[in-house]
Amino acid sequence: MGYRVGVDIGGTFTDFCVFDEDSGALETLKVLSRPDQPGAEVTTGLAEITARHGVTPSAISYFTHGTTVGVNTVIQRKGAVLCLFTTENFEDVLEVARLKMPDPYDLFSTRAEPLVTRDRVFGITERILVDGSVDVPVDEASVRRAIDGVRAVGGEAVVVALLHAYRNAEHERWVASVIRAEAPELDVILASAVWPVIREYERTVTATVAGYVQPRVAQYLSALQQALSDAGVIAEAMITKSNGGVMTAEIGKTDCAQMLLSGTASGVIGAASIARGTGAPTAMSLDVGGTSADVAIIIGGQPQYGVGEMIGEFPIHIPTVSVTSIGEGGGSIAWVDGHGMLKVGPESAGSSPGPACYGKGGERATITDALVVLGFLGRAALGYSAVEMHPELARTAMAAIAVQLAMSVEAAAEAVVRVAVSGMYLEVSKLVSRRGIDPRELSLIAFGGAGPMLACWLARELSMREVVVPRVPGVLSAFGGLIADIKNDFIRTIYLDLDEAAIEPMQQGFGDLARQAMVWIRDEQGFQEDVAMFPSADIRYRGQSYEIDTPLEATWIEEGDIQAIAGTFHNLHEQVYEHADRAAKIQIINLRLVVTGQPPKPAFAPAPKASGSLVASRQVEVFHDGELHLADIHARVDMAAGHRFNGPAIITQDDCTTCVLAGFSGVVDDAGNLILTRKD
Amino acid sequence: MAIDKVTLEVLKNHCRAAAESMAFTLYRTAHSTFVKETEDFTTGLTTSDGETFATPVELGATWFVGLNYKTVIEMIDAYDEGDICMTNDPYSGHVCTHSPDMHVWKPVFHEGKIVCFVVGHIHNTDVGGAVPASISRTLSEVHQEGIRIPPAKVMRKGVFNQELIDVMLANVRMPEQNWGDLKAQIAAMNTGERRVHEMIGKFGIEVFREGIGDLLDYAEAQARAIVAELADGDYFFADYMDEDASDGFPCRLALTLRIRGETVELDFTGSDPQVESSINMPTGGQERHALLMVGLIYVLYSLDTRLFLNSGVCRVASSVLPEGTIVNPHFPAAVGLRTLSVQRLMGVIFGAFVQAAPDRLPSCPASGGPIMNVNTIDNRTGRRVVAAIGPITGGAGGDPWRDGAEGSGANSSFLKNTPVEINEAEVPIKIQRYGLTPDSGGPGKHRGGLALEMRFEAQAPNTKVTARNMDRSRFSSWGVLSGEAGSLSRFVLNPGTNRERNLGNIDFLSIDPGDVVHVGSGGAGGWGDPLERDPELVVQDVRRGFVSRGAAESRYGLVLGDGGYDKAATVRLRAERVAARLDGESFFDFGKGRNDFEVVWNHGNYDVLTELLAATPVHWRFFVKHRVFEAIDGIIAGAGAVDEPGQAKVKDDGSDVRACYQRVLKEFPQLRAAVEG
Repeated sequence: MGYRVGVDIGGTFTDFCVFDEDSGALETLKVLSRPDQPGAEVTTGLAEITARHGVTPSAISYFTHGTTVGVNTVIQRKGAVLCLFTTENFEDVLEVARLKMPDPYDLFSTRAEPLVTRDRVFGITERILVDGSVDVPVDEASVRRAIDGVRAVGGEAVVVALLHAYRNAEHERWVASVIRAEAPELDVILASAVWPVIREYERTVTATVAGYVQPRVAQYLSALQQALSDAGVIAEAMITKSNGGVMTAEIGKTDCAQMLLSGTASGVIGAASIARGTGAPTAMSLDVGGTSADVAIIIGGQPQYGVGEMIGEFPIHIPTVSVTSIGEGGGSIAWVDGHGMLKVGPESAGSSPGPACYGKGGERATITDALVVLGFLGRAALGYSAVEMHPELARTAMAAIAVQLAMSVEAAAEAVVRVAVSGMYLEVSKLVSRRGIDPRELSLIAFGGAGPMLACWLARELSMREVVVPRVPGVLSAFGGLIADIKNDFIRTIYLDLDEAAIEPMQQGFGDLARQAMVWIRDEQGFQEDVAMFPSADIRYRGQSYEIDTPLEATWIEEGDIQAIAGTFHNLHEQVYEHADRAAKIQIINLRLVVTGQPPKPAFAPAPKASGSLVASRQVEVFHDGELHLADIHARVDMAAGHRFNGPAIITQDDCTTCVLAGFSGVVDDAGNLILTRKD
Repeated sequence: MAIDKVTLEVLKNHCRAAAESMAFTLYRTAHSTFVKETEDFTTGLTTSDGETFATPVELGATWFVGLNYKTVIEMIDAYDEGDICMTNDPYSGHVCTHSPDMHVWKPVFHEGKIVCFVVGHIHNTDVGGAVPASISRTLSEVHQEGIRIPPAKVMRKGVFNQELIDVMLANVRMPEQNWGDLKAQIAAMNTGERRVHEMIGKFGIEVFREGIGDLLDYAEAQARAIVAELADGDYFFADYMDEDASDGFPCRLALTLRIRGETVELDFTGSDPQVESSINMPTGGQERHALLMVGLIYVLYSLDTRLFLNSGVCRVASSVLPEGTIVNPHFPAAVGLRTLSVQRLMGVIFGAFVQAAPDRLPSCPASGGPIMNVNTIDNRTGRRVVAAIGPITGGAGGDPWRDGAEGSGANSSFLKNTPVEINEAEVPIKIQRYGLTPDSGGPGKHRGGLALEMRFEAQAPNTKVTARNMDRSRFSSWGVLSGEAGSLSRFVLNPGTNRERNLGNIDFLSIDPGDVVHVGSGGAGGWGDPLERDPELVVQDVRRGFVSRGAAESRYGLVLGDGGYDKAATVRLRAERVAARLDGESFFDFGKGRNDFEVVWNHGNYDVLTELLAATPVHWRFFVKHRVFEAIDGIIAGAGAVDEPGQAKVKDDGSDVRACYQRVLKEFPQLRAAVEG
């Protein structure tokens, strides 16, 4: 037995979650991130854990870790000098993208400059047709000319993305072999190897993002491995993936496309496990940080997956835990427009200078400052004393808004929260409408530094039934990494009508995917326990341009049970779109396979049982709904399963503060979660 | 009473959320792929008077922010709770502007009184009529454009009006789709109604009632502040579509924009008479008609993207719309393809406004590229395939800060393409090329965005290709402040072979195996003097293949050198070019096609023609315009100057135009009787 450690490295803080396999206890820690010296925060954190909890590095049996290094490389444009080889006459694939612009009402709206600009794109004379047959073989002279071009622009790596290579990757491999022979110094990334799915822009842009971040990600992971080994950690480092799973850091060095949204995804994995624990059928996770709020829908205890999630300004099209990012966080700045209308965001004070109350030079009022003025924050230390609160500075900043609105400072602060929450309401409302979900049936699982601060307001705005605040809301992403499965996705485009003729290609395709999956999990991951496989297929009605990922039973594939597959698709279509056409022709576009291996799961010790009722440590005045209330302050460490309390209340803990409004009642459940219920 | 500003901001977000939820519900539950692909639909909330106070911005068509349902609301005698009304008749109230658009509206009641309406439309793939999809440029009467349903209740107190639905479905080619999409619209209306009730519950009826009025006032106040920043004055602008009908003459849209303080007047006098093709814009003479407001809303929003979009914005505007013209046609002029003319009209509005704020607005976006459709037999399956293969958009105009976006942008930003791999999987064609067109962007200090082009090869005999909205084969997108016009659109059969044929602006052709079609949009106009363009940017464009080496020198005065440019030689060449310029450079560059045309049809001559046609009965105007144009062409031909348009012998004081008109009057005594009668 030993300790399992989950780490999530964010822009400001690095979060630690430590699980003691002997006692079942869970400890948390936050240290400041060190973007200047990757790996250093891990070393610092491990030393701190040793000091606080007596955990020796060699006793760490399992180590997972999520990082934003990939996303930051894209946002800061600090990736490789990347080149792209496309089929000749289709070199503009990244420039043209899918045509549509981000803001169609704005004549100035524009796409981000591609990660590979057009002078670094080179056409290859070759052509594969839609059925995978060769129309024009690769002209090696054109490859050599392209290599000359790469050298002329100082390229470091080449993405090869040819038309219809999802169907026949022979040409991409041929081109790669020429590059390796002629220019062994160049890294080569084949789009068909990153994610072999039909649609050339989507496949190409995914491969370019992966190729762009690879050098920095690999360098970072090596530094991390070194830091761990220097610290005496023996366990192999795992990293969390965008699909909510984990893989070895070693594989992550080459399979970068898989770990771009690792932190965000594992937060949702953490939230989903909380949802399962509380028995909530549908839930929404709300992770609010300094600059943005990430929300995700959880159905039946499972996160939802999607493709096309944004990495900076670029979509990647591999399966990813579906998360919607809203540009409002604790640091969002309040302002008044020329017509006297109060606005919040999208400008944010971020972590530097941060909200005015941090006393680090911020002068404009933020959401966090509003909560300080209202009396909810600033009552206890925040972020392991990494931040010192200055309530008077929050008041000064808010006074400037109050003057413009001609109201009291408290009223202005409440107005800031109301407007901010209504902005979140707008975005969440779109998300649930898109999926046809009634928000009144959702539990809101709030985490991140600012999620539990704002959750009651948002729940009220959306008429949600309850708010759940996990035991470790400030480090839930690190926690999610601890409980994640080893997991990978595989895809093959077959693009066939779903009829008898499709059975054989389908069986063959799934057979190939299963073999790939076993190689990945056994050989590459070295995972020798039981594994599970989940086949599914992207299916649509003929004439549609979008598919539904339809889960399949293994027996349907073995027995060629077209009826069962079609029936499941019709039902799903009915469920998602509220109609189905059972007589219509069906196309099966992609076969998918998810493979998972479950490392032994932590068995968390239940929360201690309450003996007696909860007594507030003290009472303070808070302002909301236009009036002053007396709020109880409770320290989370003093709260035990079965404890009940009523809003208004403030619950403080090391990693965040939970604001409970009047009209909510709370209880601590057996797992130690706070369950806040609206009294109507 | 105005509600407090904080509550108003919160209400604003809730109203937007309601409109967005309606849009997502409609999009999610719609049946037709057309709706899913093109997002040609809208949803919204209007006051009980029909003014749109909230509209979605994330999904749906960008054209209908300013839509006012008042006219059709009033055409229904009385409303009960649970009623839903619909119309697709462009001549009943002019809310609907072509027959495929099915508009619906539902009253929302509170304690027995209507508090607002929830509204929306879907573009149906087909509503019957002479041609599949119901739209063709060649149609001349609205009756050919499918069934028309004047405002009527499709639901009465929550119960379907089955007779009306049966009549509609009996008249359309794909009834399941129309029925499926109608159900999606009804689902959206019910979502909207529910959200309004939730808002009333949250804010109270008084605050809601007052607040929605305040939201219109807020948008109006924002729009007024934006207009106030613009220099007062009269700004004239005109542009042309290639043809007013098949084998016709250019079709002019003209605007005098009068900016006065916080308001604007859009006077469309000078626009051509209504035409015998389907590009008429049915505005009903409403001075704030949505089709007129699209261009204005683009301008105001682009000047300040904080503008809250609703019909309050339109209150800054009024319009003058002469009757019997293309901007205010009489029944039963066909209107199906008003998409083409409205696009050009937006450009005309941009052209007027850019004169008032050249340092804050872009030059003309590309256009003229069509939406391409292919109808053929798939050799692989023997099945008939009818499919859209994508819009051929073009880039945005150069602007005061940057080059225009490449390949798409500005007022075509809402369109999405179909991937090459999907096209080849679905449609039996082989795509030979898809990408940007080098040298197509109008040169400028900030270059116009490049055109988009596609080249494909037919695989089966008798493959029908339609190119809806094909235009700009003669008149370019304009540049400003010495920025140059963009390239013309290109539509060529079998390019580079001895069977090459220029297809110009035709919108239908039939091709066979081995035939190759090249279709390209026009390029966007440039902003500012190309000789002032940062040489490094020209070098970058050459490296990226966006500008050829030849054009770098001929159009940007750049002398390329080893891996870069020759500084001294470039300075010299640019100075020579500047010195050689004639004085009095004009604000706009229109390109050769238009310059040639305007040698004869200059402003003065066209004003005279407008004046004469305005005095002619509406049903004669199109005919008379054509005869006058022919007569003028005769003068040019007679002068033997047809190859040298610069030498045309048509006087520019309007006298020849008057003489030609008199000749037509003389030739057709019936006309004289009609004019004098």
